[in-house]
Amino acid sequence: MRKFFAGLSLLSIALAACSGASNETIKLGYIGPLTGDAASYGADTLHGVQIAVDEINAAGGIDGKQVELIAEDGKCTGSDAATAAQKLINVDKVVAIVGGQCSGETLAAAPIAEAAKVVMISPVSSSPDVTEAGAFIFRDYPSDALKTKAMAKVFAEKGYGKIAIISENTDYATALRDSLVAAVGADAVMFNETTEPGTKDFRSLMTRLEDAKFDVFVPNGQSDAFIAAAMQQYREAGFTEPAFSQDVADSANLGQIAGEAVEGMELINTSSKLGEGGADSFAVHFRAKFGEPQSNLSFATLAYDATNLLAKVIGEVGTDGTAVRDGVAKITYVGAAGTFHFDENGDVIGIGYALKKFEDGKIVELSTVTPD
Amino acid sequence: MLSSTFALAALRWTSRRLHYSSHMQLFANALIAGSLAALIAGGLALVYGVLGVFNLALGQLALTGGYVTWWLHQVLDLPLFPSVIGGLITGALMTWLTFEVFVNPFYKHHRFLPLVTTIAWSMILDGLILLVFEERPRSILPGLKKTFEIFGAHISVEQCVLIALTLIALVVFAYVFHCTPFGRKLRAVVQHDTAALSLGINAPALHRFIFILSGIFAGAGGIFIGIDQNLSPTLAFSLTIKAYAAIIAGGKGNIWGAIICAYLIATLEQLLVGIHWFGVFYVPAGYQQTVALLFIIIFLLCRPSGIFAARARAA
Repeated sequence: MRKFFAGLSLLSIALAACSGASNETIKLGYIGPLTGDAASYGADTLHGVQIAVDEINAAGGIDGKQVELIAEDGKCTGSDAATAAQKLINVDKVVAIVGGQCSGETLAAAPIAEAAKVVMISPVSSSPDVTEAGAFIFRDYPSDALKTKAMAKVFAEKGYGKIAIISENTDYATALRDSLVAAVGADAVMFNETTEPGTKDFRSLMTRLEDAKFDVFVPNGQSDAFIAAAMQQYREAGFTEPAFSQDVADSANLGQIAGEAVEGMELINTSSKLGEGGADSFAVHFRAKFGEPQSNLSFATLAYDATNLLAKVIGEVGTDGTAVRDGVAKITYVGAAGTFHFDENGDVIGIGYALKKFEDGKIVELSTVTPD
Repeated sequence: MLSSTFALAALRWTSRRLHYSSHMQLFANALIAGSLAALIAGGLALVYGVLGVFNLALGQLALTGGYVTWWLHQVLDLPLFPSVIGGLITGALMTWLTFEVFVNPFYKHHRFLPLVTTIAWSMILDGLILLVFEERPRSILPGLKKTFEIFGAHISVEQCVLIALTLIALVVFAYVFHCTPFGRKLRAVVQHDTAALSLGINAPALHRFIFILSGIFAGAGGIFIGIDQNLSPTLAFSLTIKAYAAIIAGGKGNIWGAIICAYLIATLEQLLVGIHWFGVFYVPAGYQQTVALLFIIIFLLCRPSGIFAARARAA
């Protein structure tokens, strides 16, 4: 048995050597959740990458070399993403990786990519921790840390000087609460309460809220169930002040269960229309090939841009990891999602947020918001 | 002169109304939350008093009633009333199944065995609810409820119905329990199971009846949550825990003690939070449940057998 394995590994080394010698392709890796709860993100981003690779190859490849896409399933977990990164970097020897998608995937794959000097660009990860993930780690999706700055900017424009906020006690919501308080200043926060996860009875808090003077109410939940209950009880208590929320409220469910309670509520999230517009837009190509996106077209568009950006840089500087990193760090890229570049931490600059509003139970995009 | 007196009186009345309105609102909030808690804890107290078993799948049974009502009303488009009846019947049937499969074969051997079997059943139900009704929140009556003002408190029609129905259920139950021959049999079984059996009372049939009754009450609680707030699959365990806190604090097996404690815990939860106590202590909303349960523990330290235990012996 051991002999068999030894033979097998010899064979595989020989094969690898063979393919290495005869291979004139440039390998790009992909890590994302292809199965599991987050599989819809994975499907959309992988489709975006595939469209980019197909277009590059149809146009003659990079410097005459065809691009080969190797996709690995990160399952939205750190351990699977780390395994995927090991395989892509050490076995497939990819030049660069588009991924991970879930922040947990990106954070777990980052040290491996960093050590091997392989550039990784994530099109979806939003965790503030990704900022510090390493010099080879980039993302063309904005960090959550920017979202509250965008919210503060909108509040200033609308004259919402006094803020009341009720948060759910989870990592995401409390981090958002803290950075929002920092962005608007503690003096502007007239009411700041945090409830246990899954709270559905906000009536006493609403009674206390009557004593506070505020211009805008921020229901800051981790789930749409929290925001729905908070908004219903807020309106039922007779409050007429406007409400403003974050990306969890960007949920079609909310219009269904809370109905007129969320009517007129505004929120900030990345646009779900990046790549839309025009007869020859990415959106048209995407729908022709894969139909409607499973989660959000913007994710596919940002994955498409990340792939094309990598191809452009590799075409200019070659396949050396450090050279690719320097190229990505310097480039100002005009993509389907807009014109963007990266800051010194690899966070995107130029992909803004959209101000959205519930109108007739549907979420409409009002305008784009670019945090300063 | 007269008009100015009236104006002054009106002004005084308005300012008092403003001052008391938030107190009235808190009182209304406590009444709503208390009615919900009493509905779930009341039936369970009877089960604990008679059978001496814990049913830890109670929260899931409540959710089942709520979700089935949602499904009948929102998916099949049935009118609300038949949907609620359907939800209650499903709650009763599921509780019956729970009794026959997870409680009846075990509780005679040792009264703690159902503790384990109903925990297992609650996990199975958690999974089934997630599978059948999905993770997204569900609301039986989506949108805003019509509210009106009584004494400065905002309250919706649905909440009034809940408070009224709970009170009616309690009064009817009190009448049956204390003033009818059937109630006398129930009290006999509560006091001494075997003695009641020796006097010709069909104790096993009463056990089944009481157990199913507790499921119907729990189902009604689940339906109310689905109407007043919204249902999500992770809700069940905290419902169970609160009901047991009321039962244990009320004096184990004392149904009226449990009901009073259910209202008491709900009132404490509503009143304690967000006030500056003596201008110094401030309880943030996140500790709402913790503080209420802490009070219960302090009560129990003084009266380990429960706040209303003495009355239980007299019953």
